[in-house]
Amino acid sequence: MYKINRKNIYFILLIALFFQTALLNHLRIFGAKPDLLLICVVFFSLFLGSGAGLECGILAGVFKDIFALDFFGINTFILGITGFTVGVLNAKFFKDSKTTQLVLVFSFTIFSMMLHFTLVRIFSKAIILSLREYFVTSIIPTGIYTGIISIPIFSKFVEMYKLKELEDIL
Amino acid sequence: MHTSKNRIFKTLVILFLLAILIINAKAIVSPLRARLTDLSAPLLKSVRSSILAFKRIIPFAFLREENRVLRQKVDLLARKLEETKAVYDENNRLKGLLDFRQTLSYTTIPAQVIGRDPTNWSNSIIIDKGLTSGVRQNKAAISMKGLVGRVLEAGRKSSKILLITDPNSKVGVLIQRNRQGGILIGRPDGRCKMIYIALDSDLVPGDKVITAGFGSIFPKDILVGEVVKVDKEPGRLYKYAIVKTQEDLSKIEEVLCIR
Repeated sequence: MYKINRKNIYFILLIALFFQTALLNHLRIFGAKPDLLLICVVFFSLFLGSGAGLECGILAGVFKDIFALDFFGINTFILGITGFTVGVLNAKFFKDSKTTQLVLVFSFTIFSMMLHFTLVRIFSKAIILSLREYFVTSIIPTGIYTGIISIPIFSKFVEMYKLKELEDIL
Repeated sequence: MHTSKNRIFKTLVILFLLAILIINAKAIVSPLRARLTDLSAPLLKSVRSSILAFKRIIPFAFLREENRVLRQKVDLLARKLEETKAVYDENNRLKGLLDFRQTLSYTTIPAQVIGRDPTNWSNSIIIDKGLTSGVRQNKAAISMKGLVGRVLEAGRKSSKILLITDPNSKVGVLIQRNRQGGILIGRPDGRCKMIYIALDSDLVPGDKVITAGFGSIFPKDILVGEVVKVDKEPGRLYKYAIVKTQEDLSKIEEVLCIR
């Protein structure tokens, strides 16, 4: 099993949050911006398992909830579930494959955004936007953008934490 | 086995508590969240300044060693010129904002954007002014070009503005040319959608959209944007129009909050 210092994970999540809050809006394409916190949650869950995935997801979600205008807790709930699910599935994937990383991040971006839409629809009857419209204008562009951005970030993380070397030793 | 069951039980308990929190938390956590945003406002400001400083420094990092001294001088001059230009631009922008303020019939509070919503669902911004500066909840925010949104959460030193491009935002609007009414809702792609337009209305792309002034939040006749597409809503008895906002809200840097 891989090991990464817990403080290091928290620090990375905090950096991702500030990038996402202060900078990423300038990098919007078709109205979408990549979800760095989700990329981090998927990465840590994939390499560290369900427990760490849940922990990362909840922390990243709390960070998002502080700065967002959603129902408080909705992002914590969604990212918590995402982290836990990726963590449960972690043994079933070949983690070093870039295709696996791309597909996984793309799928879980779509999963988290669909879950978000469903929960908002349940709790707020005032939403007029249809799922089809949300899918076309936001979910698909964000999924593709986040998936593509995740590849260099995953490579950097693997290199930074020397996860390949650890795997060789184990 | 026992540990695994224990972990699943703990996970379920955490998720259940979170679900309860989502349902009941608004009244409890809203002030707490505003306080946390207040606390992080200086950090956001410094991150923003660092990013701007970083943007200025990047070009200088790749200079060749052989003409380092010469280039340093050129770069120094160029940087000074850029800084002067940035100050000049900012001065012009703020001057325009000041002139614009003087033409308004209501008092406004100028504020700078220091952060944005980290999610892809909402479109909101964080500004550096709060209750101590006179910003109040449920008051409109505008820019020199047109409507921006409304203050949804006001902390002591920072506030969150729900942009008109947010899916939760609804604004009563009119077409300036024929006074045809409708409701403007936000879309996650940064545009807006005007709905409930009568089927017989002669709406065309290029028509200007203004606020209707219904309710107490948005004053009347503020420019919102321009119609870019008109179509019939499938299966509904009304038309809809896609509206491009007058101001590019994804790049907005200063806003005026109405008192």
